[in-house]
Amino acid sequence: MSVVSLVTITVSLVVFGSFLLAVINLGNIASLMGSKMEIVAYVDRDIDSLGINSTVNEMSKIEGVAEVKYITKEKAWETFKADYEGRLALGEIVRENPLPNTFVVRVKSPQMIGAVAKKISNMTTIDEVRYSGNLADRFQTLLDAVRISGMVLVFLLIVATLLIVVNTIKLTVMARQTDIYIMRLVGAANSFIKWPFMVEGLLIGVIGSAFSFIILKFSYDLVVYEVNNFLPFVPMITSGYQLFWVYLSVCLIGVFLGMIGAYISVNSLLKENV
Amino acid sequence: MIVLRNATKVYANGVEALSGVDLCIGKEEFVFIVGPTGSGKSTLLKLLYREEVPTSGQVLVDRLNLSDIKPSQIPFLRRNIGVVFQDYKLLPTRTVYENVAFALQVMGASRTYTRRQAGQALELVGLLKKANCFPGELSGGEQQRVCIARAIANNPPLLLADEPTGNLDPSTSWEIIHLLDKINKRNTTVMVATHNKSIVDGMRKRVIALEAGRVIRDQQLGVYSNVF
Ligand SMILES: Nc1ncnc2c1ncn2[C@@H]1O[C@H](COP(=O)(O)OP(=O)(O)O)[C@@H](O)[C@H]1O
Ligand SMILES: [Mg+2]
Repeated sequence: MSVVSLVTITVSLVVFGSFLLAVINLGNIASLMGSKMEIVAYVDRDIDSLGINSTVNEMSKIEGVAEVKYITKEKAWETFKADYEGRLALGEIVRENPLPNTFVVRVKSPQMIGAVAKKISNMTTIDEVRYSGNLADRFQTLLDAVRISGMVLVFLLIVATLLIVVNTIKLTVMARQTDIYIMRLVGAANSFIKWPFMVEGLLIGVIGSAFSFIILKFSYDLVVYEVNNFLPFVPMITSGYQLFWVYLSVCLIGVFLGMIGAYISVNSLLKENV
Repeated sequence: MIVLRNATKVYANGVEALSGVDLCIGKEEFVFIVGPTGSGKSTLLKLLYREEVPTSGQVLVDRLNLSDIKPSQIPFLRRNIGVVFQDYKLLPTRTVYENVAFALQVMGASRTYTRRQAGQALELVGLLKKANCFPGELSGGEQQRVCIARAIANNPPLLLADEPTGNLDPSTSWEIIHLLDKINKRNTTVMVATHNKSIVDGMRKRVIALEAGRVIRDQQLGVYSNVF
């Protein structure tokens, strides 16, 4: 078992895990910033169903609008309260419904959102228009960049790790050529000769996975702690479920790399008919 | 037990190590394969335990045509053949006992069987007392006995020895040959490749002489050379 292959596999898995954590967190932030495709238009006054219908019709005619939904302020309040259920005793603090009636307008493409929002804000019935526009756009671009460069990096690292594992196992096989020759000579089955090397690959994978899990878990918990202290408005994912999947996939990739690496070298070196 | 029909072996580099060899060796025979270096003795033995395959012709061991067997069957063929080498091929980091037991374990033998057979084999070659020594602590003759013990540990019906006395002095060589003779008398076919003239002449067994890959003489109660 070589230190080099253990270190490489651990480093690769840590990078892979960090990448996954970054992507799910950025994705989470982006989704909280609101969809790039939606505009919300508020109406402070009460409006009757005739007014609602005509506004919906008017909005639907605007070029680039895909769908218009109306949400009464009562419904919005219920949803809001349900969302925060348990965390805040809203019913106690706020007795009056503070929310306005809302039109949610979905546009056909993110590029149209600015123009559509402008037209909606010019409508007399509408009091206020919000959309996440530029910031969300830039954020999405960042997210895409992280995704793509991360995937390239992870791919390269996986290939490099695989090569190093393959070579490590090859060296072990070479170092045991005499043993292997004697084993063959006295009639050991090929699988009998192979399995110790497969086990070694598996071990490299398992130990590398364990190391990288420990490193990832501690550093992510630290990052979450620091972010909560210094940037409390940045939401970090702490749900055990999502993190479990990240750690699980890191470990599975590690074990997989170890086994595939061993499999490749053993099959190229230990052919059956020699 | 062993039949070669027109067996020819041409190595990848174009060397024709054996050309059209026809041979028939019966059960429990003791045979010397003699000939100068490079005449094809080792190649002939390698065809029998299928380290090499003939380029043309046929090799049959125990009615098994070695050209027909699947790679996955090779281990089972080899469990019926013991091989002894000039350089012993022992594992230096394992004791004498472990070297012999190793051969049995890799066949998947049980622990009781391994212990019994390894003990019997070491007893037969007279090395039970040195069972816990490492090969490096033994003389050449003793190392060759370990190699023989390993080869016969599971009582194979065929024992092949490639220059078993090549690295040994004359009196030790005789001890080894007498040991092989003893094994032959316990119902094992024995083939010894050698160019040790005095031993071949002293034993008066069947002699098959090779020269440049051809059988030039096959003689019962033979001698190393008819040319004086
Ligand atoms: N693996 C090999 N590749 C190529 N040539 C070989 C190989 N083994 C043996 N030879 C050649 O085949 C011939 C016979 O060799 P060998 O069977 O070892 O003879 P011997 O054991 O009688 O000395 C020699 O010329 C040798 O150089
Ligand atoms: Mg030879």
